[in-house]
Amino acid sequence: MNNHNLVEVAKVAKVFHTRHFFHRDEETNKRRIYAKHTVVAADNIEFAIKPGEVFGLLGPNGAGKTTTVKMISGLVKPSSGVVYVDGLNVEKKRLKALRRIGVVLEGTRTSIWPLTPLENLAYFGNLKDVRGRVLRARSRELLKFIGLQDKMNVQVRRLSRGQRQKLAICIALIADPPVLLLDEPTTGLDVQSSRTIKDKVVEMTREQGKAVLVTTHDMGVAQEICDRIGIISHGRLITCEPTENLLELFAEQTYEFRVDEFADTPTLEAVPGVHGVRVAPEPEGILLTLDLDSDTELRSEALYTVIETLRARGARLRSVTQKQQTLENVFLRLTSAEGGSQTKG
Amino acid sequence: MGFFLVMKAEVVRTLIIMRRYWFATIIGILVGYGFLMMLISAFMTNSGRFKELTDEALSSVLGFIVGMFAFGIVGLFSQGLQGMARTGQLEQVCTSPHGLVTNFLARSFVSAVTSIFSLSIVLFLVTVTLKGKITATPGPTVALLFLTYCNLIGFGFMVGGLVLVFKQVGQIAMLLRMGLFALAIIAGKEIVNWPSLLRWIAHALPITDASICLKLVLIDGLGYRVFVQPSFLFLIINCALWTVIGISLFKLMENWSRAKGTLGAY
Repeated sequence: MNNHNLVEVAKVAKVFHTRHFFHRDEETNKRRIYAKHTVVAADNIEFAIKPGEVFGLLGPNGAGKTTTVKMISGLVKPSSGVVYVDGLNVEKKRLKALRRIGVVLEGTRTSIWPLTPLENLAYFGNLKDVRGRVLRARSRELLKFIGLQDKMNVQVRRLSRGQRQKLAICIALIADPPVLLLDEPTTGLDVQSSRTIKDKVVEMTREQGKAVLVTTHDMGVAQEICDRIGIISHGRLITCEPTENLLELFAEQTYEFRVDEFADTPTLEAVPGVHGVRVAPEPEGILLTLDLDSDTELRSEALYTVIETLRARGARLRSVTQKQQTLENVFLRLTSAEGGSQTKG
Repeated sequence: MGFFLVMKAEVVRTLIIMRRYWFATIIGILVGYGFLMMLISAFMTNSGRFKELTDEALSSVLGFIVGMFAFGIVGLFSQGLQGMARTGQLEQVCTSPHGLVTNFLARSFVSAVTSIFSLSIVLFLVTVTLKGKITATPGPTVALLFLTYCNLIGFGFMVGGLVLVFKQVGQIAMLLRMGLFALAIIAGKEIVNWPSLLRWIAHALPITDASICLKLVLIDGLGYRVFVQPSFLFLIINCALWTVIGISLFKLMENWSRAKGTLGAY
C-alpha cells in the first residue's frame, strides 16, 4: 500500500454466480432444470487515486464500473484482491474505512423526501458521526458551496432532479471524507446542473485535496474534469492514463485542407510522410483529409510539401486544421477492440 | 455510541415527519380506534352479552394492539427493508460507519417507542369507550414492553437477514407477520389447555408469552406478580434466544449478501 494514495485498488476481482431453476437458454431456447451462470464483473482491476485527483472510470453498460465503486465502498465483497482507503483495508476495517468515504450511487434516492435539505444533512450527519455545532456549520457551508442555500428549508420532494443530486453530493460530503465516490453524477441532469456539479467537484478536489472517483458515460464530463482515466470493459481495466496522455496516445495526425479545386490526389499520396488522402466535395470547394506520420520531423516536412504542391497546382488554400482527438473516439476505439464473452453457462 | 447517534437522528426525523404530517398521524390513530370499535361492536352485538364481555373484549383489544406492534416491528425488517432497498436508502445506510445492525437496532427502537405511544392512545380510547379498566403498573409494564421489543427485534433480525439474501422471503414474512398478529390476539392463560405440540410451537414464537404477560398485567392487574408466572420465564428465554439467533443470522446474511453483491439492492 502506497501511503500517498487515498484509494488503492490492488488486483481486485469479482465473480458473480447466479443459479437458475427451470432456466430457458436464450440461445438454444432449451429449458434446463438447473443452470449456473458465472459473470466476471471485475477482473484483476488495479488503480490508485492520489489526494487532489479526479479519477474517471469509463466503460460501457455492464462493464463493472458500479461493481468497482461498490467494492471500494464495502457494499460488495471482492472475490480476490484488496481495496485500501486511506491505508485501511476495506474488508478488514470496513466501518473505519467507511468514515473516510462519501458515496453517491447512481439512481438512488439518497435523501429523505419529506425532510428539507438542512434536515437531511442533520439526519445523515448523525448517521455519520458528525454532531452539534460542527454539523450545523458544515450543513450550511455545504449547501452554500453547492448553491442550494435558497432551498435549504424546502422539502426535498419539491426540489428538481438536479437539486436532489446536488443534495446527494452534500450528504456524501457531510462527514468531510477524504474520498468521494460519484457513480454517474450527472446522468439525466440539465446542462446547468451538470455544469455546477462538474465545477464543484473540481473545485473541491483541488482546494480540499480530496480523492474523487467518478464513473460516467458522459465523455465530455470525463474529459473536462478527470485528471486520469481508466477505461473498463468486460470487467477488465484496459487502460489507465492521465487524460492528456490518453488523448495524445491516440492522437491521429490528421489534417484537413480546404481548397477551391484540386484533382491531383496521387501526387499528394506520393509525398513522404503522407499515409492517406481522402477527398470530399463541399459546397464551397473540396475537403482534403490527410493522415500524416506520427514522427514530428517527417510530419513537418510532409506538411510543407503538401502546401507547396497545392500552391504549384494552383489550388487556393482556404484553411488548414488539425483534427482534434476526443475521448469519445478513444473510448470507442478501445472498447470496440475488446471482445469475447464474459458469461459462462 | 453509534446506537445513540442513529437513535437521535431517527427521533428527530420521526418527530419532524409527525409534526409535518400531523393530520395523517391523527387520522391514523382515529382509524385504528374506529376499526377496533367496529370489530368489538360487531362481536358484542352478535353475542348479546355486552357487560360480561368487557374484560374479554379488552383482552382481545390488547392482543390486537400487541399484534399490531409485532406486525409493525417485524415489518420494519421485512417490507420496510425491501422498501428501503427499492428506493436506494438501504445502500446509504449500508455505507454508514455504524454498521447495519446498529442502524436497524436504533431504527426499530424509535419505531417501537413511536408505536407504543400511538397504540397506547388507541388502547386508552377503547378502554374509556368500553368503560373497562386497564391497570398499567409502570415497572412491570415497561419491563414487559422492553422484553417484547427485544423478542420481536430478534425475530425481525432473523427475517431481515433472510430478506437481505432471498428477496422472495418478503412475501413469506408477510404471512409470518399475520401469524404473529393472530397469535397475539388468541394467546392467553388458556394456552395450558392447547395440544402439547401446538403449545410448544406457540411458546417458541416471540409474541405468545409477551402477549400473555401483558394481558396479565394490564387486564388482570397482576402487577409485579407477573415476574413469577411461567409465561414470564418463557419470555426471558425467548428473548435471549431470538436476540442472539436473530442478530447472528443477520450478520451472517449481511456478509453473504455482500459476497453475492446484492447488499442494499433489490
